[in-house]
This record gives sequence, structure tokens and C-alpha cells, in this order.
Amino acid sequence: MNNGVLDSNNLNGGQKLAVKYFSVAVILFVAQILFGLVTALQYIIPELFFEVLDFSVARTVHINALVIWLLFGFMGAVYWLLEDEAGVETVGLKLGNLAFWVFTLAVTIVVLVYLFVQVGPGDDTTRWLINEGREYIEAPRWADIGIVICILVFFYNAAATFMKGSWSGISGVLILDLVALAGLYLAGMFYTTNISVDQFWWWWVIHLWVEATWEVLVGCIMAWGLIKLLGVRRQIVTTWLYIEVALMFGSGILGLGHHYFWIGTPEYWFTIGGFFSALEPIPLVAMVVHALYDSGVHKFKAANHPAMAWLIAHTFGNFFGAGVFGFMHTLPQINLYTHGTQWSASHGHLSFFGAYATIVIAVFYIAVQQWRGGVWMSGDLPGNGWKWKWSLALLNIGVLGMTMAMLVAGYEQSFIERAIEGSTWSGYFAAQMHPWFIQGMNWRMVFGIVTAAGTVLLVWDLLTIGKGEKRTRQEVS
Amino acid sequence: MIDPVEMQNFFMAFFSGAMVIMLGALYALLLAWGRIKSSPAFVVAAYITYVLLTVFVLVLADTMNFEGFWNLITAVMLVGYLLAPHGIWILSRDTHTHEQEPSSIQS
Repeated sequence: MNNGVLDSNNLNGGQKLAVKYFSVAVILFVAQILFGLVTALQYIIPELFFEVLDFSVARTVHINALVIWLLFGFMGAVYWLLEDEAGVETVGLKLGNLAFWVFTLAVTIVVLVYLFVQVGPGDDTTRWLINEGREYIEAPRWADIGIVICILVFFYNAAATFMKGSWSGISGVLILDLVALAGLYLAGMFYTTNISVDQFWWWWVIHLWVEATWEVLVGCIMAWGLIKLLGVRRQIVTTWLYIEVALMFGSGILGLGHHYFWIGTPEYWFTIGGFFSALEPIPLVAMVVHALYDSGVHKFKAANHPAMAWLIAHTFGNFFGAGVFGFMHTLPQINLYTHGTQWSASHGHLSFFGAYATIVIAVFYIAVQQWRGGVWMSGDLPGNGWKWKWSLALLNIGVLGMTMAMLVAGYEQSFIERAIEGSTWSGYFAAQMHPWFIQGMNWRMVFGIVTAAGTVLLVWDLLTIGKGEKRTRQEVS
Repeated sequence: MIDPVEMQNFFMAFFSGAMVIMLGALYALLLAWGRIKSSPAFVVAAYITYVLLTVFVLVLADTMNFEGFWNLITAVMLVGYLLAPHGIWILSRDTHTHEQEPSSIQS
């Protein structure tokens, strides 16, 4: 161990690959924030970058960067815990490294094409080479195929390593989840001329990835994180993982129905979507109680305070973002007015941050600690750990502020554009020009800047925390 | 067919939906905390929270124009929110039964 310096000799093979994924994830996170600021500014100054970097392009990059940085973060997290869980070296590491470079190169090309080519004639060439046109998964078809191949390599690395080594409850759930992760992406890869049918399958990727496979994936990471950070017994976290997975799949799969209300699918989806959406917050409530229970039992004595703080932020963020902000506009009686407004964006921002960004950031801190030789990251850090505390505060306040600003704007849109004006063009413009909407967009910009400041501080902290630290990590049991 | 929310009920429909989830979590937390600390006051507070939760579920059902099958969902929601925290508590307690370090958790 080489304490206090970033040294690859402190890492095993899987972890060396993981830090590559984490590095790209951080770069994409910064890109997501930058393009988010541009889009936020375009709401205030609509002519900004007109025909140079149109809102549609900037928004595409903003959201795609989010999806991909989280995916890189999750993949890195799995590579990080792989050898630790399996007890053997990662199988097929060279292939895994190759897949990483291919994936990174593909993402780079896709982003450059988004930025510099932007649009095509709208035929097969466009779909294969420029932009597939499906919101959130705009990557052209060649990149889609590449993503699936890279995920399959990732799956092979993980599954083969566990098969060679030992299985655990966490690894079993993880591998089954990765099958779903790779398989579901295929649902967004075929084209139909019927928009209802197209949307039907598109939601399989958007909803089932996010509200089923990603939730389970972060459940696995959370379980492993609680063992590492608090010293919680494996039997406890595994039991909870099974319960949470059962609840998540039990409610999340048919919770898909809340996306089928208005796309031309049969009326029974109102009932199915409404009922299962009402169940979806239950695993999130269970998770809050469980995480606090474990933390309390272990008297909040953790081996890595920044990571532990981010895990707690994850628990609450997941509950408020996905649970509270999801349920309050998910039933069809009200969703008729709210879907596709800033209300959805408000829910999206808090839930993606709370459920996913937070836990990936927690893993970043776990990784940095080991990368610096397993150094001390509990209390009594130099400067009282002001950088991680301030970045945690700024990022959470920033995202929460943006969420509330968009909530106000979304409420106004739902009321004026949808309920009063009946979704007409005049209603659309009336809502866009309403003072609540304009003020909401201004406040969103302000809190976006706060979020950006928190991101800068986070990156700075990740690069410097533990530097020169000679104490070794606090033992937990 | 489902009747959309009336315009005058807009705010209460959103607000009651949010309160159902937040009070559901608060009820679970107060119940767990009350039992960890063996404090009847917290347990009583938990049940008061549940009563408030019931009020907001009923407001939600009213403002969302629940009828027929949707009333069944309301009943299931109320029973579920009442019992689920007990289940969560039992799981939390039992999974920690063999914890090595001494704990103040009461059975």
C-alpha cells in the first residue's frame, strides 16, 4: 500500500478498470452540468446559440450525458466490487479494457456528431449514423449495437468472475439484473411506423431500465456499500436486498402502466398503472427505515464519511425524488394535466440525482479512498473536510432548488396550458409567458449555477481528498 | 372512464398525493424510533401520523374522483400503509437479532 498518493498498485485488476470508468463518468457529469446550464439559459434567452447549438441539441447532450455517465458509474461500481465479492481475479479483463475504450470512443463520436452534424435528412442514414430520434436514447443505431456489445462484455466479465469464484446473494441479484439491463435495451432498437407501438416499446427502455433494473443495481451497490462502510453483516443486507428487489420488481414492472395512459394503449392501463404506481413508493419507504436503522445500530461510525453522507443523501433523494415527486402526479386523474410539463422535469431532476447520481458519487469516494492506499476518511479530516461537506450541500441545495423552481413552473403549465386552455397552441404560449413560468425558469438558472459550483467543488475534492494522508482507514464492524 | 381532477381541486390533489407518501414514511420512522427507544410517546405520535395519513388518503380519493375499483385501491392503500411499517420493523429487528455488538433495541 502506498498511502496518500493516487497509485494503481493500491488497486486490483477490476478496480483499475473501474477507475477508468469513473474518470469518464466524472467528465460526462461535468458535460451534463454544462449543457444543462446552456439549456436553462435558453429558457431565459431563447435566441441564445440559435442555429448553432439549438435547445433540442443541447438538451439531447444534457440528458444523454446523464444517462451515459450514470451507466459508466454503475459499470465502474460493479468492476470495483467484482474481485472483492467473487474472491478471484476478474475474468476477461483484457476484453473488458477493450470494451471500455470502444465504449468511450463511441460515446465521444456520438457526442461530436450531435454537436457538429446535429440533424440529417430523416431517412435510414440519419437513423444509423446521426440520431435515432427517440427521446433520451437518441444514439444512432451503430452506437446502439456497440452499447449492447459492450454491456454483454461487461456481463461476461461479471458472470464469468463469479462463476470462477464464489457467489453471494449480492452477486446473484446483480447478475440476473445485468441480463435484464442488456436485454431491455434491445426493446428500443427496432423501428415501427406506428407511433403508439413505437412508444410502447420505447417505454420499456426508459421506464424498466430506470425504475426496475437501475433501482436493483443501486440496491446491490447500496448493500455492498453498507457492508464496507458500516460493517453491516452480509446476512442482513442480503435479506433486505431480496425484499427490496421483490418489492421493486413487484411494483416497478407494471408501474410501467403510468406511461401508457396517453399513448393510445387500451384503457385498462389506467387501472394497472394507477394501482402499481401507488405501490412503487413502498420499497423506497422500506429503504429509508432500513438505512437509518443500520446507521443507528452502528452509531454512524463509518469508514468513509463522505461516501456515507452520499449514501444517506441517496436514501432520502430516492424517496423524495422518485417516491414523493413521482406519486403526487402519477395517477391518471392528475397526470392528464402534468405529463410532459416542467412538472415531469422537476420529478426527473430530483429522482435521477437522488436515486442514482448520489450513489455513484458515494462509490467515487470509496474508490478514491482505496486508490490512495486505504487512507483515513472518517472524522477529523484536514480543514474539517470542508470541500466534501460544501460540495454535498451545494449539490443537494442546487438540485432541490431547481426541482422546486420547475415544480412552480410545471404547476402553472398544468393549470393554464392544460386545464384551462385545453392543450392548445394559445394555451402553450399563455403558459410560457406567465410570470410564474418565467420566474421559475430564472430560479432554475440560479440553482443550476449553485449545482455547477457544487460539481466543481466535488471534482476538486475527489482529486485532493486523502492526499498526503498517512492514517489508515477506520476499522468498522 | 376516469374523471380528471376538477380545477378547484388542483392543489389539494397534488398536495395530498405528496402528503400520503411523506406521512407514510414518517409513520414508519416514528414507529421504528419509538420501539428502538422504547418510547410510547413516539409510538403514539406514529399513530397520530397514521390518522393524518388517513385524512390525506381520503382527500386524495375525493379530489381524484375515485370510484368503483379505485375505492378498493384506497382501502388497500390504507391497510398497506398501516401494516407495512410493522413488517419493516419486524424485518429490521429480526435481521439484527444476532448482531454482535450490544444494542439498545428492544424486542
